[in-house]
Amino acid sequence: MKHTTKPEEPPVEMPDAWWYKVYFAVIVTTVVVIGLLQAFTYYFSS
Amino acid sequence: MRSLDWAVVVAYLAYVIWDGIRMTKHSGNVEGYFLANRSLPWWAVGLSVMATQLSAITLVGTTGQAYSDGMRFIQFYYGLPLAMIILCITAVPFFYRANVYTAYEYLERRFDAKVRSLTSFFFLISRGLGVGVIIAAPSVILSIVLGWHEVTTIFVIGLSTTIYTMVGGVQAVTWTDVKQMFVIFFGLSVCMFVIISQFPSGVSFADGLTLAGATGKLTTVSLSFDLKEKYTLWSGMIGGLFLFLSYFGCDQSQVQRFLTAKSVSEGRTSLLMSAFLKIPMQFMILLVGVLVFVFYQFTAPPMIFNQVEVGKVAQTAQYQTLKGEFDTAHHQREQAAEHFLKDRTDATRQEYLAADKAFNASRKNAVDYVKSATKNESFNDVNYVFPTFVVQNMPMGVVGLIIAAIFAAAMSSISAELNALATATTIDFYRRHFKKDGTDRQYVFFGRIATFVWGIFACFVATYATNIGSLIEVVNKFGSFFYGSLLGVFVLAFAVKRARARGAFFGLLFGISSVWVASHFTDIEFLWFNVIGCLVTVVSGYLISLTDRGGIDVVDV
Repeated sequence: MKHTTKPEEPPVEMPDAWWYKVYFAVIVTTVVVIGLLQAFTYYFSS
Repeated sequence: MRSLDWAVVVAYLAYVIWDGIRMTKHSGNVEGYFLANRSLPWWAVGLSVMATQLSAITLVGTTGQAYSDGMRFIQFYYGLPLAMIILCITAVPFFYRANVYTAYEYLERRFDAKVRSLTSFFFLISRGLGVGVIIAAPSVILSIVLGWHEVTTIFVIGLSTTIYTMVGGVQAVTWTDVKQMFVIFFGLSVCMFVIISQFPSGVSFADGLTLAGATGKLTTVSLSFDLKEKYTLWSGMIGGLFLFLSYFGCDQSQVQRFLTAKSVSEGRTSLLMSAFLKIPMQFMILLVGVLVFVFYQFTAPPMIFNQVEVGKVAQTAQYQTLKGEFDTAHHQREQAAEHFLKDRTDATRQEYLAADKAFNASRKNAVDYVKSATKNESFNDVNYVFPTFVVQNMPMGVVGLIIAAIFAAAMSSISAELNALATATTIDFYRRHFKKDGTDRQYVFFGRIATFVWGIFACFVATYATNIGSLIEVVNKFGSFFYGSLLGVFVLAFAVKRARARGAFFGLLFGISSVWVASHFTDIEFLWFNVIGCLVTVVSGYLISLTDRGGIDVVDV
């Protein structure tokens, strides 16, 4: 495994608008995951 | 443990220590030793963030908790994704652009040196004691597996981790964390596969989950809003949110992780990796505990998993009587489980639930007897379930792999905590108050000494922490005592323009005092302490700040 110690090129900072889309995706994914867990519980408990 | 198991464990330990020590060449200057020259890629930082939080307590305590109490503990993590988003918007750019070494260093720029020193001091106290508990967990396992005294195992684990952390600095911590995460998940995957393969013929994975589901072991969402109920959707979403905001945003052991990233974007991505993966990962770990529960439906489990305690009382007549009742209860539950799987009617389900209830009562009687016979009221069998199961039921080689995975989980957390403790000691106290114009060499040398001293201190704390209840809850409860109030100080710093140093200083003290009052005079569960500490610190800090007409203006960073 290569151990990176020095940046090879200047870091690229993504714009805020891009990050807000990522945050929205995280929230949607979390809701879906909790929903799937609830479905899992219901399926094997009933 | 057979020869192949020993070979796997020894090979793992030797590789990790060697791999950590060879990072010395990247740790000659202060920024290299404490922040890896801010050069690490997001995926390495992200894995290190997850490895730091995933301690041996998570493996041993969580699987044991799933065996006895089911999966409801997963709700503890429901607030984590939202916490990560908030931190990506606030803490990551604030700390990264401020070019600080510690989170508390930022507080001096915003308030004054007293606030910085007080918050850093509380971090050192809470984490210094917390890392002792983290060392105690794997020592419990080794004491069973090897038959060693717990004190011996504590110092073997603690010192081996201290050595590579002391020499290699944060580079060693991060890159060994990456490899340790792979060992942990490979070990857990193999363990799950072996458990399922050992189910009796005719009992499938789905059948096992049906048994677990019938007993309520698969509950993952509880909508109860009872403050006295430990794990609910709301305690996780609200209490857990505050705890994770504080842990990932104010605890140096985590802040230091994303400060090593190449850029703000890479720091954010590393935190969002946890936001996506933490809940599924925790589900997998809890599922291992549930599968152990299913396995023991068809194989007689130990009545008491802690074999050391069994040895003290095994010859007494009452223990033998209890053992007879326990064996009968297990046999009846096994038959009821088979009936239920063959004929899934309400009658067979009720028969199985009644048999499970009788079995649990029988086990509780045994635990109560051990408590009274050994005069050890704090005795808790939960932490011994998984290691005892592994040693007694896993095939040769797999035992060694899982023990190595537990070692990996322990060392990844211990190393990050020791590195953070050394960083705060060096940067917030030594460099700030005693040696302002020192050379890089002097600070790195002091950092190494501080790592060693904290390592020894943590080992001594661990010797007192091996038998104090479910270890994962001990760590979380202890953290909740300080975390909410520390978070409150950072909320004052980031979001309250009128906040002044005096308000932050006394607000923090009021916050911690309020948590002490809540813990001693109410039945509120510990996750809510984070909310209480944060709110009291922010409100009292703001009100006190209103009385301070002087102070400094907000510093933009």
